[in-house]
Amino acid sequence: MAWIEFEGRRVRIEAGDTVASALFRHGVRTFTRSIKSHRRRGLTCLTGDCANCLVRVDDEPGMRSCITPARDGMRVEREGGVPSVERDLLAALDRLHPLLPVGFYSKTFIRPRLAWTVAERLIRGATGIGRLPTGVRPRISQVRHLHVEVLVIGAGVAGLSAALSASEGGRSVLLCDEGEPGWLVAPGPTIERICSLAEAVQRAASITTLWHHAAVGIYEGPLVPLAGPERLVHVHPERVVVATGALESLQTFRGNDLPGVWLGRGAARLAGRHGLSPGRRAVIVAETAEALEHLGALGSSGSKLVAVVASDEIPAPTAGARVIRGGAVMAALGRRGVRAVVIRTERGSERIACDTLVLSTRRFPRDALLRMAADLPPSGEAVVGAGEVVAPGCSLDEAEQSGALAGRGEAVPISEPPAPGLGAEGLVCPCEDVSVADLERAWEEGWRSSEILKRYTTATMGPCRGALCGWALAAFARARGADALASARTTARPPARPVRLEQLAAGVHEVVEKRTGLHHLHVSRGARVDWSGRWKRPFTYGDWRDEHRAVRERVSLMDVGTLGKFLIGGPDGRELLERVLPCRVESLEPGRCRYVVVLDEGGYVMDDGILCALGDGRAYLTSTSGGAERMEAWLRGWADRWGLRAHIVDRTSALGAINVAGPRARELLSRLTDDPVDASAFPYGAHRHLTVAGVPCRAIRVGFVGELSFELHHPRSRGFELWTALEQSGADLGVRPHGLDALDVLRLEKGHPYLGQDTLPDDHPDKLGLGWTVAMDKPWFVGRVALQRMRELPLERRLVGLELDGDASSLRGMPLALDGRVVGRVTSCALSPALGRSIGLGWLRAVDGGFPQVLRAGSAQARVVPTPFYDPEGVRVRA
Amino acid sequence: MGLKIPCPRCGPRPFSEFAFGGEVRGGRSPDPEGDFRRVYLRANAPGPQRERWFHAFGCRRWLVVRRDTVTNRIDPDEGDGLD
Repeated sequence: MAWIEFEGRRVRIEAGDTVASALFRHGVRTFTRSIKSHRRRGLTCLTGDCANCLVRVDDEPGMRSCITPARDGMRVEREGGVPSVERDLLAALDRLHPLLPVGFYSKTFIRPRLAWTVAERLIRGATGIGRLPTGVRPRISQVRHLHVEVLVIGAGVAGLSAALSASEGGRSVLLCDEGEPGWLVAPGPTIERICSLAEAVQRAASITTLWHHAAVGIYEGPLVPLAGPERLVHVHPERVVVATGALESLQTFRGNDLPGVWLGRGAARLAGRHGLSPGRRAVIVAETAEALEHLGALGSSGSKLVAVVASDEIPAPTAGARVIRGGAVMAALGRRGVRAVVIRTERGSERIACDTLVLSTRRFPRDALLRMAADLPPSGEAVVGAGEVVAPGCSLDEAEQSGALAGRGEAVPISEPPAPGLGAEGLVCPCEDVSVADLERAWEEGWRSSEILKRYTTATMGPCRGALCGWALAAFARARGADALASARTTARPPARPVRLEQLAAGVHEVVEKRTGLHHLHVSRGARVDWSGRWKRPFTYGDWRDEHRAVRERVSLMDVGTLGKFLIGGPDGRELLERVLPCRVESLEPGRCRYVVVLDEGGYVMDDGILCALGDGRAYLTSTSGGAERMEAWLRGWADRWGLRAHIVDRTSALGAINVAGPRARELLSRLTDDPVDASAFPYGAHRHLTVAGVPCRAIRVGFVGELSFELHHPRSRGFELWTALEQSGADLGVRPHGLDALDVLRLEKGHPYLGQDTLPDDHPDKLGLGWTVAMDKPWFVGRVALQRMRELPLERRLVGLELDGDASSLRGMPLALDGRVVGRVTSCALSPALGRSIGLGWLRAVDGGFPQVLRAGSAQARVVPTPFYDPEGVRVRA
Repeated sequence: MGLKIPCPRCGPRPFSEFAFGGEVRGGRSPDPEGDFRRVYLRANAPGPQRERWFHAFGCRRWLVVRRDTVTNRIDPDEGDGLD
């Protein structure tokens, strides 16, 4: 025996039960309260369209109980109502409805201004549309992409048939449904047809089915996201067949939202599938041929049919019930639920006692997805409808045929249903409690088009997203003589079906995490590893001051394998670099290297790196860790544009790099290599092939940290042996690794800016003090024209070195002020262990044509000083 | 959006694999004034336009397509793929 826990009581569930059917069997008739007037609401559509059965399931609010399968141990509560849904004191609001007219928000609480802040809290609290769960971790949804030729949405008769015909010739077809084939359909000829088609679909090899995945919208492409229980599926089809069917229209009459008023298919489903009778005495409005099936289902469930209000086209139904031809429902009476209905007949109006009113009324297309697609160029024509969504009320054969045509990509007959008139009373939009009278009042106030009525009255803006009332606004405007534009259906927007926020956020956790080949080695050395761009890199191995001291006084290793590394060759390789880079490339001799900045076409600094000229005419170029991917695209793009025969090989992930830095770096290296590393054979600004501990390396003598250093670029697979050899061999020298924390201070002491941290997107080299890297006497390079123009203007901002009072290590981001005016910002700062004082970098705006020298950064004084701070002559780096 | 871009090497692929490279506007102008216009003054016109895309999560090559900026209809470029 299985149970669900419902508001502290145990409710038995049976096989095939939904939460709604289990509660209904238990005697629950009021499922929720309406948002504004706190009117009772009960089961209505049973197809997940309306918002009358929203309950809280396992702490999740707003669950449609009619399509939520009941599972053992579920906790279900109703929401809204003070103190409870059953006994709601706020129901008094219903009597006050005339005092709460449409546009209530816009008209009230305008003055005093504080009134709204108080009122808003009260009003929001009173709506009772659900509490957000607390203490529940959001589930992480994944995104998957599916590429198919044809996507069919909806596994009814038309959808199944469309999938079958679309799959002819082996076309790949995806068939999705919010539930499963036939799961919302009462027993009868429809379900038999669905079953036989579904079997054929199962046998078709090229049809993939995706049940319990609801189409959320149709976007340009077309792109159709499907919200499933665990994931969001992005479907990229070539064609889409929308077969989402139709929904009976909720007629407007007084009391049309009372518990006990059913849409025909809903009542038939409750009776036919769950064996529950919607009520003891039923009146049914029969406008469609399908109504006869509903009659049959109701009869067999034990409901007594009191009267059938039948339109003339419907053949006389079964005996027993009284048939009223040409009648119309005027009102449903009752407080807790329907007690009687008032029927207008030819002889006047008549009151009939009953507890159930079933509306087997004319159907309207569930066409939100189709209308979304109609506005999408150019993929709009790739989306077609089939079955009831384009021809509501069509027969089973017509639906099957329509599906078959749509599946093959042929034209589908479309029949627009004539819109019925609205009654004089009753609710148009049950979600938002908007009545016919409200629409009339809004119309009188001058809001005279469907779109404006929607915005002013909020009709169609409730949780059902216009499923019940979408047609009514247009019909209302048309009946009052509005032109085609003013009486058009309001725009359909995603989501077409309810979707969880966590599904909208699906995939945000799917990020690229890059690691160097030495990652595990760092972790085993106790490194604190964290994000640096898309890389995971060591920040410190314990104490960054220790690491700093090792670089300045002894020797230290750093994994710089994240640097972008490119080999540029081909007959025009040098020519490419000459044109792209602002420095002289031709004059760079083999074996030498040069610091380069890379400019964009606006003359702004995009990236920087080291350029090495190789002996065979090729060049080796490094870039910053974050700029590697862009650098490759940048070089390749220019090579393509100019038609140059240049090869660009991205070696970033193929090569590792270890920087060996510190006054004793040479001593360490000479223990592991037979190649000469003395200052005359391998001077600063050179690069050489070295075999270090048996590993072939390209060693580059540059010094970001300001000490004698050798950057060893090596095959990534040999990084581990190289690193460990350096560690072991240098043990007596006190070698130890340093991470990004130490590097940040080391490079700051040398005044080197970090691109991105110390620079802004519109910094040209002069602003950074890097004008010396640009050879303006070259006739052309990328960015030269812009740079030339900018050089004719006075410098309005530049990056400066700062000396600060006290311990300024926490001043990064602090504005730089001159007489209380903000004229700059600190972008890097630290208490330098090597200098024993606080230093920083920051940008500074020109004031009255000059750059101020003394500023305030918070409470500290900041003085502009020349960089580098440490070893200004560069003696140590050239050692 | 779910646009597809015809990559001459990889076939039609979702546009999310690509990086946008802007409208085709040549690689260099001989005179500075022309180069200034090339860099800063884009046509940005409604209708078909030749534009560059970089297949970042594919062949990592640039390609040129013809896209209608009004309808987003994308066709392969008949040219040599160069600017």
